[in-house]
Amino acid sequence: MAQPLVKKDDDRDDEAEYSPFLGIEKGAVLQEARVFNDPQLDPRRCSQVITKLLYLLNQGESFTKVEATEVFFAVTKLFQSRDIGLRRMVYLMIKELSPSADEVIIVTSSLMKDMNSKTDMYRANAIRVLCRITDGTLLTQIERYLKQAIVDKNPVVASAALVSGIHLLQTNPEIVKRWSNEVQEAVQSRAALVQFHALALLHQIRQNDRLAVSKLVTSLTRGTVRSPLAQCLLIRYTSQVIRESGSTQTGDRPFYDFLEGCLRHKAEMVIFEAARAITELNGVTSRELTPAITVLQLFLSSSKPVLRFAAVRTLNKVAMTHPMAVTNCNIDMESLISDQNRSIATLAITTLLKTGNESSVDRLMKQITNFMSDIADEFKIVVVEAIRSLCLKFPLKYRSLMNFLSNILREEGGFEYKKAIVDSIVILIRDIPDAKESGLLHLCEFIEDCEFTYLSTQILHFLGIEGPKTSDPSKYIRYIYNRVHLENATVRASAVSTLAKFGALVDSLKPRIFVLLRRCLFDSDDEVRDRATLYINTLGGDGSVVETDKDVKDFLFGSLDLPLVNLETSLKTYEPSEEPFDINSVPKEIKSQPLAEKKAPGKKPTGLGAPPAAPLSTVDAYEKLLSSIPEFANFGKLFKSSAPVELTEAETEYSVNAVKHIFDSNVVFQYNCTNTIPDQLLENVTVIVDSSEAEEFAEVLSKPMRSLPYDTPGQTFVAFEKPEGVPAVGKFSNMLKFIVKEVDPTTGETEDDGVEDEYQLEDLEVVAADYMLKVGVSNFRNAWESMGDDFERVDEYGLGPRESLAEAVNAVINLLGMQPCEGTEAVPNNSRSHTCLLSGVYIGNVRVLARISFGVDGPKDVAMKLAVRSEDEGVSDAIHEIVASG
Amino acid sequence: MLLALLISNSVGNILVERYHGVPTEERLHWRSFLVKLGTDNLKGAKNEELFVASHKSVYIVYTVLGDVSVYVVGKDEYDELALAEVIFVITSTIKDVCAKPPTERLFLDKYGKICLCLDEIIWTGILENTDKDRIKRLIRLKPPAEF
Repeated sequence: MAQPLVKKDDDRDDEAEYSPFLGIEKGAVLQEARVFNDPQLDPRRCSQVITKLLYLLNQGESFTKVEATEVFFAVTKLFQSRDIGLRRMVYLMIKELSPSADEVIIVTSSLMKDMNSKTDMYRANAIRVLCRITDGTLLTQIERYLKQAIVDKNPVVASAALVSGIHLLQTNPEIVKRWSNEVQEAVQSRAALVQFHALALLHQIRQNDRLAVSKLVTSLTRGTVRSPLAQCLLIRYTSQVIRESGSTQTGDRPFYDFLEGCLRHKAEMVIFEAARAITELNGVTSRELTPAITVLQLFLSSSKPVLRFAAVRTLNKVAMTHPMAVTNCNIDMESLISDQNRSIATLAITTLLKTGNESSVDRLMKQITNFMSDIADEFKIVVVEAIRSLCLKFPLKYRSLMNFLSNILREEGGFEYKKAIVDSIVILIRDIPDAKESGLLHLCEFIEDCEFTYLSTQILHFLGIEGPKTSDPSKYIRYIYNRVHLENATVRASAVSTLAKFGALVDSLKPRIFVLLRRCLFDSDDEVRDRATLYINTLGGDGSVVETDKDVKDFLFGSLDLPLVNLETSLKTYEPSEEPFDINSVPKEIKSQPLAEKKAPGKKPTGLGAPPAAPLSTVDAYEKLLSSIPEFANFGKLFKSSAPVELTEAETEYSVNAVKHIFDSNVVFQYNCTNTIPDQLLENVTVIVDSSEAEEFAEVLSKPMRSLPYDTPGQTFVAFEKPEGVPAVGKFSNMLKFIVKEVDPTTGETEDDGVEDEYQLEDLEVVAADYMLKVGVSNFRNAWESMGDDFERVDEYGLGPRESLAEAVNAVINLLGMQPCEGTEAVPNNSRSHTCLLSGVYIGNVRVLARISFGVDGPKDVAMKLAVRSEDEGVSDAIHEIVASG
Repeated sequence: MLLALLISNSVGNILVERYHGVPTEERLHWRSFLVKLGTDNLKGAKNEELFVASHKSVYIVYTVLGDVSVYVVGKDEYDELALAEVIFVITSTIKDVCAKPPTERLFLDKYGKICLCLDEIIWTGILENTDKDRIKRLIRLKPPAEF
């Protein structure tokens, strides 16, 4: 008997390369599916065809609507067969096809029949299929059976119903929530998996009810949990309860004993979960940490890579907050540097960099150097960032760390990696004076062979600021001038500016710089020539060794001191003529330009991003304007200025708009007024504000405007006091009050006597969004993850019928006043769901991130799920309150 | 949530691919990412030796079994340890169905059965069954033995 069997196997090995699905083609398989319609069903053949269909689907092949419908109808015929193997295949096939709502009805009766079958396994499978394809109406019909199934004595049936419940909770929460009692019963089940599934579902049903979750945890931590998976869930829910109880005092932290007890569980999964939960406790003490760190240390030398990874990942996080607690593991961690799994090695290195002491730096760097060549860029960036912080921690070690950075800068790598290195070097130069000269030279060498224009220009700019202040500025000139020969126009223009800065600051170099700049006059690019011409003319002295004027230095290094928008508008309206453009004609104050582009979104402060030469933004201009008014001097730092709100209709006699300036304990309204009547002069202009609908605000001062001539905008201010740090809201009605004097249009003379007059303005509201700064993040997901879910608040809201999904999204963005990230404010046409990512800084300088999923339910009803993460629990709640009350 | 299960042959051709809660436009990206991860690391790996990686907040555990590579991707409660549990169930079930670590041919011969097993193990992103013997019975619509 054995002989032919071996032989058969041998044959098989010969054809090992030959796939049973070789040359499989959708059309042919669909033809074959006609066997499902045969009056005499051949179960074996039918199973084979279903396998082929599954293979096609698993390969990413998709069926057209017509094809899917045809196959679906054919498959339903197979319910007639009594063959068990085929029936199991049919269940799977129906789930894979996920028929549309109007087709489902064909199988519901068959499935309902199976659901009430005496054969347990028919019941379990029918439940899974029905729940996959069902909608709300059908669900109410089968709800009774599902509730029974949850407490079915067959664990497979119970699990099927419970897992279905977990899925259905997303779509039909109100129905599933009614099953609480049955699920509660299932949590006590003796079957391990039923308990696991029941616990997961029960927690999801009650997740918004803190008290219920706390009760659940209390009862289960005292009882027995059978499966390690369920035990892990329980640990997670327990840490949630601990977190929400807000208790940080040591000794009597609730449930700590339970967590600590889990460290001695027999399943590694549970031990790890408990250890991690302990390390993540708020304000965890070293005494509490010790047992957790001990088990994690044991895992570091486990033969299982997954355990090593989990342990080192957790220790890496602990090292950020409690580096001393992790030092005991350093020896185990060092041996992981050579781990063949690169993720483990990288985590080990970055942890060591956080926990290492000054004496071990050199040894560590040697190890890392060998390791860098065989990891991917994304790991390298992590290492570079860790080295940067290490260097700032041990400034005396800058030499070896800077050498390391410069070495890796010369190696191959993508833009993000190179940028991370350059940023690190720049930060080290800034913070460690001794590192300046060597750092600048490393950067100079890098731009000799740098393929990234952005990095070259940034480095040239930085060289222009720092280079002239070094002991021997001349040595940098060669590197800079080489750029003028060898690079593209953008870099060449930057190099010309950098040369000019050296010329301006180092008088002895000026004659030589002049020679170089003159050569640039023959450049092929307009911008390069223009810059060279400009600098030759501004530097002065005609190339001799003279001191550069202060004005020129201010021009080269100072800020523009003008709102860029104003400059842009003035330049656009300037008509080329004999008269040159006068920069002094650009208004310095902000009128009513829309402030949409006031902040560049998504720019994280990086090493190169901070040179002081940035021109004033609109916000800075407001800040300057307000600080020039002594009455507002003690209001503290300006948190936010709103966009101007129009308080008059277009083309009325007086045009007024208001800007709301938010301080910690004050709010200032800046009324920008324009008088549009040529024969009137307004004097003593004030706005009388009625704040009876803004209870938390009390007017503290009003700063009138002495005169408001025709077509010259002017400002009057009204300041209020409000409770400190509180995002108070309210409505204010406004009346413009003034003395009007007649002006003779021919002579321009003003009459002496004036008449008191008033002019009603629109109401102004202070809303919640005024307390939110639009500050973007460049990578939302990173920011979201690094913020962590400690203060995450999630809730769902119905927005009622809306004009469109886009309108609803826009309304919520405006309500919150946050910065949409990654272009998520744009909603594609006809989409039924959309996720919007928002970022901002709330009053009190608390960073807030929000992830909002919108969905259209029914014809126009929009619902949304809002998840908020912030650095402060109260703020997360406040954001939800804004939405709930908006 | 178990975000993805992917089984490929030794040169990276997809044999089974299942996603849960992964937008369609991201699936291709995940496929190529996982296959690359495998080609970079699985060469010369022993059967069922586990490999682990994390990508942002998502965990990946993968391994090789005979001629096929198995990848599972998860997030939140499905962290590296839970995924190790999942992949253990998958590999032991496949071994059971094929009677040994499968060649590609053997895997494809047992394709229908394997699909059924996977359906019992992972159901739309949630781990449902963990015991290979029970799974073996379930795919034949037999109630679990201990019941």
